[in-house]
Amino acid sequence: MDMFTLAIFLLILTNMVILGSSRIAACIRAVAVQGMVLGIIPLLTLAHARLGEHLLLAAVCFVLKGAVFPWLLFRALQMARVRREVEPFVGFSLSLLFGLLALVASFYVGSRLDLSMTKTFSMLISYAFFTIITGLFILVSRRKALSMVLGYLVLENGIYGLGMVLSDRMPFLVELGVLLDILVAVFAMGIATYQINREFDHTDVDKLNRLRG
Amino acid sequence: MDKGNLLWIMPLLAASGGIFCRFFKDPRRILIFTCNMVLGIGLLGMLAAAAVFKQGQLTGSAGWFNLDALSAYHLLVLMIVYALSSFYAVDYFAADIRSGEFTPAMAQRYGTLWLASLATMIVVLIADNIGIMWVGMETTTLVTAFLVSIYPKRIAIEAMWKYLIICSVGIAFAFIGTLLVAASTSGIADAAGSRFFSWTSLRGVAGQLNPQLIKIGFLFSIVGYGTKAGLAPTHSWLPDAHSQCPTPVSAMFSGFMLNAALYCIIRHAALTNLVLGTAFFTQTVLVVFGLLSIIIAAAFILSQHDLKRLLAYHSVEHLGIIALGLGLGPVGAFAAMFHTLNHSVCKALSFFSAGRLGQIYGTHDMRRISGALHVSPVWGAGLLFSLLALIGVAPFAIFISELLIVKAAIASHAFWSLFIFIAGSSIIFVGALQHAIPMAWGKPPSLVEKPPVIKTIEVAIVFGSLAMLLFLGVWMPNGFRDVLSNAARIAGGL
Repeated sequence: MDMFTLAIFLLILTNMVILGSSRIAACIRAVAVQGMVLGIIPLLTLAHARLGEHLLLAAVCFVLKGAVFPWLLFRALQMARVRREVEPFVGFSLSLLFGLLALVASFYVGSRLDLSMTKTFSMLISYAFFTIITGLFILVSRRKALSMVLGYLVLENGIYGLGMVLSDRMPFLVELGVLLDILVAVFAMGIATYQINREFDHTDVDKLNRLRG
Repeated sequence: MDKGNLLWIMPLLAASGGIFCRFFKDPRRILIFTCNMVLGIGLLGMLAAAAVFKQGQLTGSAGWFNLDALSAYHLLVLMIVYALSSFYAVDYFAADIRSGEFTPAMAQRYGTLWLASLATMIVVLIADNIGIMWVGMETTTLVTAFLVSIYPKRIAIEAMWKYLIICSVGIAFAFIGTLLVAASTSGIADAAGSRFFSWTSLRGVAGQLNPQLIKIGFLFSIVGYGTKAGLAPTHSWLPDAHSQCPTPVSAMFSGFMLNAALYCIIRHAALTNLVLGTAFFTQTVLVVFGLLSIIIAAAFILSQHDLKRLLAYHSVEHLGIIALGLGLGPVGAFAAMFHTLNHSVCKALSFFSAGRLGQIYGTHDMRRISGALHVSPVWGAGLLFSLLALIGVAPFAIFISELLIVKAAIASHAFWSLFIFIAGSSIIFVGALQHAIPMAWGKPPSLVEKPPVIKTIEVAIVFGSLAMLLFLGVWMPNGFRDVLSNAARIAGGL
């Protein structure tokens, strides 16, 4: 198994951990690992010009997704003192089953897609589909505010993977802007979690239901 | 001086003004400072827009920024809405400043976020790069989220959370759309270097872009940016956020933020038309989203009791009307551009009135607001006339722009669309009138205190906006007509 396949395997594994784990801390660590691997992937598939920019972007991604985001999430976790963990609407085994189906579907679609790509890119795009679906699933199936932030991060990781395949020519400044935006988003969602906890003494977002109609 | 420099000066000035708010202690002075900043930046914006209307377009910062007739027109609408809302805020927060409920810390946060949101909206409009435009749009969500919960009440925090999550996910979809547009350039020699993803260069190579990817990209963009623009079916955050935030923020949300998101959709649609060589595809999609928004808004307007929620659903309706207009060919696009300004001014005024009346009556429940004309002649009149204008009563300008959309629908033989549009508008007409009449003329509750003085600024805001709506309803100056048709031509793309 070459390094690239190993990396994709690791990425898929982290998604499964996030789907199946009942502890937020474990989920945050999984997202951190996913971020680090995503940062490394461009280095494994180096085949284009502008090497310096790519290296810098990989480093920024590695640090932000692998260290800064998890740190922000852990801080929000402490501030909000979420004890009863993930609390999904959908059970863990059912979530894992869903993940498995999504994985099969993603690889099927990814292999059928004709974007005149190499084998490596086809794997990456399958991973991206799978991760986007996983992120959306977590967003709709989890009860705690922090779990939803995690879902958003997973979704963004998927889109980041998609971006590596679809546009290797996106200007450096733009990619940096995107990463910074996600940083601010996670930061803002962390503060929001804290505010919810302060006013409601819980972070069960499904109980935020006074606004209707 | 090169006028192109104005483009980067405006957002930079707004952002630094935001930081400067931290140095004031007195809430009132912070609010007045934001007014001055908005006026100053508005002046620069007018200079830039005037230059665009005269010369065609402005380019600045080595091609990263570009202002053409479409974005310049939106910039003018932006400035009008921000200027009105900033002045209104001084009046709106006055009572809470006196009672100490609007603390200096809150005022600092409000001023900073207010000016920061101005900066990001300007960036959305002037960005020539498709990615930077996205970055700007996502940033508007992040800076405005905490404006919703400036008063840290439970219900406001709930609305803020919904807004933050739903719009962030929506805009993430728009990013997939952006990536697909970027991917459609594969196979073209990278001649323009890092400026490749500017709208200008994309238009230049439109013939070589991959039409399939562009099509899918447009669908992702309209779903993504449509979430932020309040187009049904992903509008669910909108009534909550618009009704729970402080009123100047509601007015800015409804009056411009939605239009900024729609502006992004227009840009994508124009490029898609150019690539496909026909506007049929984007027009169909826009008409479907527009009609769906009108129907859903009509259904919810009938059952509303909260005044600000009612107005929020009116926004869903009117953004739907603008989308419908854009989907009905050149005449429709012209009407949509005209409708943008009319709706923004009218919606700002109606929120202003709702906000102050809400403070006077102590509730936004329409069943308990009655006899507003008697209790507060200025805001009562503002509410009554803005509601009448919103539902399309002549001779206000919204009547004219809606009439133009009817004309466009007939001209393009879109009779089903016309039927649904008329049916939806009629339901809304009756539904809103049913609320408006008792609110204006009913018997005022005995406990309500009439405000002792009528301030000049209140009269100026109410009657200034009404005069503008009336003026545009009866007469359209030639220069303004040219601006609209230039903007509509760019929106069409072909």
